[in-house]
Amino acid sequence: MYKNIYKYDDMKRSEHMAVRTTAGWYLWTHELMEVKGADAAAFLDYVCANPIANLAVGRERYTTMLDESAEIIDDVVVFRMAEELFWVSTLFVNAMKGWFDTHKGSYQIEYENITPKWHMFAVQGPRSRDIINALVAEPVDDQRFFSIRDNRIGELPVKINRAGFTGEKLGYEIYVAADQADAIEQALNEVSPKFDARQVTEFQVMAWTLPTEAGFYYMRDLRHTNPLEVGLDRGIGWDKDFIGKDALLKIREKGPAREMVGFTVEEADIHINGKHLGGPGEAVCVDGEEVGRVSKIVYGYVKDTNIGYILAKKGSLKVGDHVSIHGHEAVITEKSFL
Amino acid sequence: MSKKIDERIPRELGEGVLPMHAAIKSPWDKLMSYHDAAHYVQRYQGVISAAIMQAFRILVPDYVDRSKAICKNAYNRLAYLNRIPGVAAYQTTENNTHPFCAGNFPGAMIGDAGDECLLMCGRVNDFGTYRAEKELDVCYWDIVGSELCRSTTQSLQACADVQAELRRKGPRLEFHMVEAKGCGDRHCRIVAESREKYPMPEHEQWECFGPVATADQIKYTKEEDTVKESMIFREECGYRFTNGTNWERDPKSSVYPLASTSNGACYILPTFDDLVREGTLDADEVTRVLKCVCEAAGKAAFGEFYAREGLRSWLGVPREIDDGRVVGAYIEMYLQSARIPYDIEAFNKDEVVYTIDRMALSNRLNRMIDTYLAYWYGATKTLVSAEWSLWEDAEGCPEDKVRVRIAKKIDKFC
Repeated sequence: MYKNIYKYDDMKRSEHMAVRTTAGWYLWTHELMEVKGADAAAFLDYVCANPIANLAVGRERYTTMLDESAEIIDDVVVFRMAEELFWVSTLFVNAMKGWFDTHKGSYQIEYENITPKWHMFAVQGPRSRDIINALVAEPVDDQRFFSIRDNRIGELPVKINRAGFTGEKLGYEIYVAADQADAIEQALNEVSPKFDARQVTEFQVMAWTLPTEAGFYYMRDLRHTNPLEVGLDRGIGWDKDFIGKDALLKIREKGPAREMVGFTVEEADIHINGKHLGGPGEAVCVDGEEVGRVSKIVYGYVKDTNIGYILAKKGSLKVGDHVSIHGHEAVITEKSFL
Repeated sequence: MSKKIDERIPRELGEGVLPMHAAIKSPWDKLMSYHDAAHYVQRYQGVISAAIMQAFRILVPDYVDRSKAICKNAYNRLAYLNRIPGVAAYQTTENNTHPFCAGNFPGAMIGDAGDECLLMCGRVNDFGTYRAEKELDVCYWDIVGSELCRSTTQSLQACADVQAELRRKGPRLEFHMVEAKGCGDRHCRIVAESREKYPMPEHEQWECFGPVATADQIKYTKEEDTVKESMIFREECGYRFTNGTNWERDPKSSVYPLASTSNGACYILPTFDDLVREGTLDADEVTRVLKCVCEAAGKAAFGEFYAREGLRSWLGVPREIDDGRVVGAYIEMYLQSARIPYDIEAFNKDEVVYTIDRMALSNRLNRMIDTYLAYWYGATKTLVSAEWSLWEDAEGCPEDKVRVRIAKKIDKFC
């Protein structure tokens, strides 16, 4: 019982470590909201905490979207596809539509959920550039991080985005018309063995183990938090108006009440509940007082140990502290495990 | 009929004067909170469903035959429902299912959310492309019978399979209920595994109680760590259900309508329809056996004098009242907790008459109304006395209503 669902799983380990040592590729389609119009830039500047209007065409930015109380309602990547055309990559497109409907006001914009039109494949890891170059018409050697360009794979028009959710220095995303996804998958299947790359098929690797090792957040981590609590305040456009700014300024002045910290558990076969599976997450107590809750607990194959995050009262847990979580000894760490 | 309504406090009396209660109330203003009403309706329907299951066992004596029939119906019915245009897409959207999730494993989220609505609290222990695990600490259906447990597993399977058709092809998880409170286990536990990754011998549809390949990965929660309430009723959860993909529901949006529309009867009664259609069962015989069993269940409910006294106390029945109004009040509390609309045509010491929304009472199930009437008839006999009876009075009643009359009645053939 409690046998670790990650540690002994050779398939998960090999998929994960392929990304770390050679390359891994996987279907990674997110939802896309296309926003266009004369006021598209200004509108996105308003609904996003980070600046969007100053993005160059072909560049993108990761940003949070806040509600009026400065709570994060989404974390997205906004692409500037053309001067008045943006893509917002999200996992909550229906909520986003409702949000845009509420806040559109008199902005001259149109927005549409274009998710059905596109699929996306992530190619991540040290050899990812080699794989992309083996597929595309135009080499991507000079393509900067967080930039997206048109390209071709065979006869298929594609967009190549240099980005990823794995923490790897090299990583790309191939956007292709949805009805051509099979062709891209076939192409990747043919090319990847030449570079010792493999397909990643396990959701837990794509969404949890790889990003958590890199210190990234996923969905549930950010629910009912604000950017200052979770370290996503870098790059916030304090000199522009955005939804949630007033409340966030107050929090900044007072100081965030909580912070996200990392932790490891050396014991292999454990039973600790994290919010990533739903629910409140396991309580973390110090001297009998609850100081936080486990946001997620997964596995770091690089360090070969259980890893996770705790959302805790600010200052209650410091790196190096030992705490007991549901009877298992945990050590508080930085929130990155590479 | 006297149409006299007396000796009860009008429903709307005092409305707006004092702070509102989120509650249902008896004719004598005893309140039952929203929380208690949600639990009550779940257990009430569990009891009714348990009676219906006994009828099933009389009609189809063989356990395997019953299990095959109910599992087949559950899978087909849920597959059909999920294929109604828009249904699967709606569920996918509600659950924030990611477009990159290939295969049927996101279906586990549907079961998770549904459990919480039904106050079947517990936790997700694993959620991945090749394996998922959900553990329940509470289940109000645990008195109905293990055939039901098997069939609910198939309904989860159907939801997962059909929803997967909306996305790119991927591994298929096979759902098993490896522990069931209905069988005496401490928890209910679903373990769903991909047979690509975890090969196991083939089995028939009804044999979905395990074994599974990854039993050693099971995360068994000890008794002291179990929960008694769904997230919506727990302070540590902020009185919200939140799943791993940030789908949230509050107490207002979570419990109803599912708590009053999903129950064991929803699995068993449609199975009767299947078996009648196939010619295995006779329709009249099904109705007859159901009535017999449910009447007995109703009589047993208040056969013990302390059950009667307990109900009277719970309803706040004045000491001097010992007539059909007690039965009426009992039924009203159920109808309110199930959110079944009804009107009071008469409420006095001689008779009690309700007109109840037919569609809501039937829950679109064949023979559901017969079941209630038989159960309430039986309950009348022990809750008040054998002089009293309860029946459907259809004369002059609109088609979309059910008129239930509670009065003294002599019946030489009862």
